[in-house]
Amino acid sequence: MAAILEMQNIVKEFGRLRALDKVSLHVEQGETVAIIGPSGSGKSTLLRSVNRLEKITSGEIRINGELMVSSPSGKAEYVSERQVRRLCSSTGMIFQHFHLFPHMTCLGNITYAPMKVKKQSQAQAEETAHRLLELVGLADKADNWPSQLSGGQQQRVAIARGLAMEPELMLFDEPTSALDPEITGEVLAVMKTLAARRMTMLVVTHEMGFAREVADRVIFMADGRIIEQGTPEQIFENPQTERLQNFLRSTLSAQKNQ
Amino acid sequence: MTVQVFLLTLVFALPLGLPVALGSNSRLLPIRLFCRAFVWVFRGTPLLLQLFFFFYMLPIWFGFAMDPLPTAVITFVLNYSAYLAEIYRGGINSIDRGQYEAASCLGLSRWQTMFGIILPQTVSRILPAVANEMITLVKDTSLVYVIGVAELMKASRGAVNRDTDPTAYLVAALIYLLFTFILTKVADRVEKRFSRHEARRQ
Repeated sequence: MAAILEMQNIVKEFGRLRALDKVSLHVEQGETVAIIGPSGSGKSTLLRSVNRLEKITSGEIRINGELMVSSPSGKAEYVSERQVRRLCSSTGMIFQHFHLFPHMTCLGNITYAPMKVKKQSQAQAEETAHRLLELVGLADKADNWPSQLSGGQQQRVAIARGLAMEPELMLFDEPTSALDPEITGEVLAVMKTLAARRMTMLVVTHEMGFAREVADRVIFMADGRIIEQGTPEQIFENPQTERLQNFLRSTLSAQKNQ
Repeated sequence: MTVQVFLLTLVFALPLGLPVALGSNSRLLPIRLFCRAFVWVFRGTPLLLQLFFFFYMLPIWFGFAMDPLPTAVITFVLNYSAYLAEIYRGGINSIDRGQYEAASCLGLSRWQTMFGIILPQTVSRILPAVANEMITLVKDTSLVYVIGVAELMKASRGAVNRDTDPTAYLVAALIYLLFTFILTKVADRVEKRFSRHEARRQ
């Protein structure tokens, strides 16, 4: 198996605050990795460093074996803007608040980037878009505006939009946190389908059920560090550190009460 | 003449405001300073004074004179593009950062993001403010009579003096009102076109 993503000793500082403290992470092709942890633990920052939505302070990131950023002198130096954009375009990102383009229909949202960036013809892009809309169960919504859709539907369109660029790695930043509890299921179901198709996924989530059921590996972060990682069984059934035990106790009881 | 000054200003100032707006947000300091200075000067001095400046001072200092009409149009274009630039800039800055992030994650360039994603969304937001400016512009055209351009106000004053009857002012007021009425209708139409995506859930 080849590593799609290699992150080495990533440090990210916001002023005096150290959000990431020498985090290293490898993601193999076809793997679904869930990142869990309390808020402020740096998990979203880690995810956003992968496609340079956050510029790291120091460390090294390779995507598909190709260097995106390294720190020969101790400070992060990115490769050229063009290269970075090319590398980042092999990743797709799903946001907590969807960020669909409100002035475009669902179809327009999905076809815009393939046409502009990959220079696909409109017919080609639309064919892919219809296929992806079917995959996420929204074949009949192609011509709707995002404002006409529920949150869960919008998020599924966002997933289709991300997939249209044929990324090798999908990044999910709390994809269900902005949704009502009863409709998180429809989004998680789509993600499960992707996992079953061996799409490589890095998922920051509060959905312990999803992490336990779907992830190949679960990473627990706190205070900008990876505290523990392992298979879902190891993490959920046999947590080693007190931090993780406390975290699991508080989140699981909170989710049970919902 | 009123219509001519209005239309020419509209045609040139509407697009010219955009590079000034983008320049004011530029990461390159010289461009940013230049655009902000431009806006500062043209918003910070009266339009009347600018008209005098271009009409009387330029010939004295630089020895070339322009006809009143082109002078008026150039002055108006510069003045209005400064105001419009600030409206555009406000509109651009009001778009959620997530839109830029989503665009960047899809591999879109800065240019594609600005013209494909950001600007189309700003149109419906800035339109009421732009329509406001256009209505002000209709009335500001009355200023050009000071440099001898025959426009509506000048003509009506001529008529009043000639007939010793102030009804001509009333006629002028009605013409201005008709003009702004048409303008308001056009603005409504454009606004509808650009906010059709804001339909509520059915």
